[in-house]
Amino acid sequence: MKPLIRFGLDSLMYLARGSTIYYGWLMFLGFLTLLMFLGAYEQFTKGMIVTNYNDQVSWGLYEAQFVFLVGVAAAAVTVVFPSYVYHHKKMKEVVVIGELLAVSAVLMVLIFIMFHMGRPDRLWHLFPVIGIFNWPHSMLTWDVVVLNGYLALNLICAFYYLYMKYLGREVNKLFYMPLVYISIVWALSIHTVTAFLINTMPSRPMWFHSAMPIKFIATAFAAGPSLIILSFLVINKFTKLKIAHEAIETLAQIVAWCLGITIFLVLSEVVTELYPSTEHSFSLQYLIFGKHGLTGLVIWYWSAMVLLLAAFFMLLTPSLRKNHGLWLPLACAFTFVGVWIDKGMGLVVPAFIPSPIGELSEYTPSAIEIVNTIGGWAAGLFIFTLLAKGAIGVLLGEVRYREATDLASEFSSEWQPVVHSSEEISK
Amino acid sequence: MPEPSDKDNKKQDAPPKTDEKSRREFLGNAGLTVTAAALSGAGALLSGSDEAEAKATWGEWFQKNYRLMSDDEKKEAVARLEKRYTEEYGKKTVVDSAPAQEGVLFGYALNIQKCIGCRRCVYACVKENNQSRDNPEIQWIRVVKMEKGNFLAENMDKGYPDPAGIQVGGNAYQNSGVVLEGEHYYEPAQVPEKDYFYFPMQCMQCEKPPCVKVCPVRTTYRDPDGIVVIDYNWCIGCRMCIAACPYWARRFNWGEPNLPAEEMNPVTHYLGNRPRMRGVAEKCTFCLQRTRKGRYTACVEVCPVGARKFGNLLDPESEVRKILDKKKVFRLKAELNTYPKFFYFID
Amino acid sequence: MRKTALALLASFTAVLFLAPPLHSEDTYIHYLDNKPEPADCFESRDGYTNVTRTEVEPGLPNVKCSNKTGGVLWWGDPFDGTEPMGDMPIEADYTREEAVVKPRTGQLKYYMPCTACHDGNMVPYPRDKNPRPLAMHQDIVPDSMDLKHGRGAIWCLDCHNPRNRDTFIDHRGGEISLNQPQRLCGKCHGEVYSDWRDGIHGKRIGSWEAGGKKRWWVCTECHNPHTVQVNRFEPIVPEPRPQYPRTRTNADHERGHGAGAGH
Repeated sequence: MKPLIRFGLDSLMYLARGSTIYYGWLMFLGFLTLLMFLGAYEQFTKGMIVTNYNDQVSWGLYEAQFVFLVGVAAAAVTVVFPSYVYHHKKMKEVVVIGELLAVSAVLMVLIFIMFHMGRPDRLWHLFPVIGIFNWPHSMLTWDVVVLNGYLALNLICAFYYLYMKYLGREVNKLFYMPLVYISIVWALSIHTVTAFLINTMPSRPMWFHSAMPIKFIATAFAAGPSLIILSFLVINKFTKLKIAHEAIETLAQIVAWCLGITIFLVLSEVVTELYPSTEHSFSLQYLIFGKHGLTGLVIWYWSAMVLLLAAFFMLLTPSLRKNHGLWLPLACAFTFVGVWIDKGMGLVVPAFIPSPIGELSEYTPSAIEIVNTIGGWAAGLFIFTLLAKGAIGVLLGEVRYREATDLASEFSSEWQPVVHSSEEISK
Repeated sequence: MPEPSDKDNKKQDAPPKTDEKSRREFLGNAGLTVTAAALSGAGALLSGSDEAEAKATWGEWFQKNYRLMSDDEKKEAVARLEKRYTEEYGKKTVVDSAPAQEGVLFGYALNIQKCIGCRRCVYACVKENNQSRDNPEIQWIRVVKMEKGNFLAENMDKGYPDPAGIQVGGNAYQNSGVVLEGEHYYEPAQVPEKDYFYFPMQCMQCEKPPCVKVCPVRTTYRDPDGIVVIDYNWCIGCRMCIAACPYWARRFNWGEPNLPAEEMNPVTHYLGNRPRMRGVAEKCTFCLQRTRKGRYTACVEVCPVGARKFGNLLDPESEVRKILDKKKVFRLKAELNTYPKFFYFID
Repeated sequence: MRKTALALLASFTAVLFLAPPLHSEDTYIHYLDNKPEPADCFESRDGYTNVTRTEVEPGLPNVKCSNKTGGVLWWGDPFDGTEPMGDMPIEADYTREEAVVKPRTGQLKYYMPCTACHDGNMVPYPRDKNPRPLAMHQDIVPDSMDLKHGRGAIWCLDCHNPRNRDTFIDHRGGEISLNQPQRLCGKCHGEVYSDWRDGIHGKRIGSWEAGGKKRWWVCTECHNPHTVQVNRFEPIVPEPRPQYPRTRTNADHERGHGAGAGH
């Protein structure tokens, strides 16, 4: 028990010390999170009337983040899979960062689910045994199972790995490896199930096609690793932990090819829908060209397409891809933003326009929605910053178990924490 | 006002179902009860400042799903609601809990040829069913004005591509004939208008309702008389049902419903028109507070042209069955295999 | 500088927490707030099926009416002001049902009764059924030589009993009560009559149940027999439109995507 408590204390001590940039970054995120609490108070006391949701467009900005972030979470597998299946040594050294990103992403997903729910106070109705869990009929219950399972898996894997590292021991492979393999399959399942959640509704023709799950996976494995690359680059720049170029290169290639598949799937969908141009393609028409003068998402759609295509060609070019100063982060940012648009608002909102009985409408998020969404992201990044900094401390050996020392001696010791701001993803 | 602990200790005659039992065990656990109580206190705090209302909310918060309640629990829930509504709206309110009648399967038929688009059904429904009147405005029936469309003579030799032979006729570039898009917000001086027809839509009470399938907590389910009902107190507001309904029949209480006391209909049913709370889904129930007592629905009664017909599908002499026998009927979006019990017909 | 910052902060907060105005002109809530519920309402045909709003018992109105149009929207007592339908031959299993109607005579403008004038003396009985210009009742039939019913094949006295104006006339010259127009109309419109008896055509309110009490609507409660050739149902003012979705201020995009509008 004692080592565990020490682990917690050591980590806290480590997290508490950092550079001005580190504190500034955390305070900035903390401020945005506080704003979210204000917005959340408004929404939870007055109801979703403070959003711009309506009966026509009943899902919006929150669900867009939800869908996108499930993908980011699933993308941890792009680090785990090469590490443990292909024994990519350089990747294996930092695999835990990917897992912690997944943990943060799932936590963000949970935040956005709370904002999505009309009655968050009745969440317990969903708990098995005390409530009613309509499993296996309701796709949403599958999503609940896989998301929570995934959160647990990644928490356990990451914690166990770091704790062993902290103690200076080897991981018990009999315990650890099965979890890793399960988490690989599980990662695919979370995003597949999220795709099934929306593409099993014939009432929304735009979603109702079987390419949805693979498109979800492809976009997730483009956007997720982009974020991981960005955070690796930030870690390389600001911390003593040096992540090997091979690891980043592998991820960059994954992003490139998943982007390629994404573009192919987008094209397939567009041709399939727009060539016959049935009424079922109206949502896509609204998204791409606008319909009857309603063009709210057109600019977003085309900017996403430009971003994705540009990122794809940047990543295909080896000299650009290997340029970690400018082109690689730029391509990753393009990918991330492009997918965020295409799979966020660009996927969720137009499916509701027109409504199943043909009513065209438009939706723009309300100020409170935007505040809550930014706050949700800030909260997630806050958590990720702390987790990553702690993990880096363990990986560097700066946080490690020393039986002889006690707290008092630690304070008085000469040991100074290395100043590194974990200003991940500040771009 | 029954406290949750009273309810927990209450003996029941019927052997409890697994869910009920485990739930009681859960509530019996002191530690968890405290947690739940704290949560529910917060819930009560969030949903209303009025003390009486907060107390009722407290009790309602611990309710289980209506279908799993024992008769005693139903009575208790209904009494609690009656008391709250009576206080809140200042009029004696009845909350009925009548189950489905035996040998009855409700069906509806609408004569699409007769409808004049006057929207009186929309507001008959509003007067009957205690929807929020404003912000959000909730209406369960939507009447869509459809263009009959026309084919223009001057388009006859036009089309695309032109020189090499016409592949797409010139009339294809306008609504030549009817399309699903219609006008939802039409406001002419008078109806019916020439060159248009009107298409009212509401909950189809599907035999295979997609909304029920996607509900994660089974707050919405189909009763034996074919009505798809919602336990408003069990709904978590996830809106899966709203997304899944191909008929856009479901509405959501985005905010606290605004129902003026003088507009409130005090004759209600637990699963029907009792006032709702914010954050839950609702929809047409074929006025089950009326129809389970033998009365026609409000929309059937109001239709000034008699386009709306209602009755028991199991009774060969009922109006709907006679329509199914004598007339040509169709169901909306039949290809989705939802088997609506709402039929459209023409003379 | 600080003032600007404060102003910015204030406006930011205002944007955050002030709900945008909803466009509710000509919607239900607008009429509810701005126009009182009328005391005189109409049921189906504006002007010919009127009902006065009262309470059938404390707290229960006989009808609820539209603030905008004055149309009845809701019946507290579906049988208010009705009487037994009488000797209607109902050729269905529903013969055991209690069928009631609302008497038409109370709704007719000139019914004092009709025979008050058409008694054969004050207004002499007509010699034959041939169309001739009318000096009276032009508000009901503006041009008697061009009756908008039957396209010239019928005229007033094919329906109105020349010898007893308080009644209609059946095929054999017998009398039909003004309160049972279906027996008159059914003379020609047999198929509609059959549908009406089955409850397919026309309207009933009250109980849907087999054996339950129903109020049957009769032909002239919905149709104007003197103009039916022009309008099967006389146009009425529609009830208010629904409110636009929160994010919309108009519905211009849905208007006129018909002929020539393209897409």
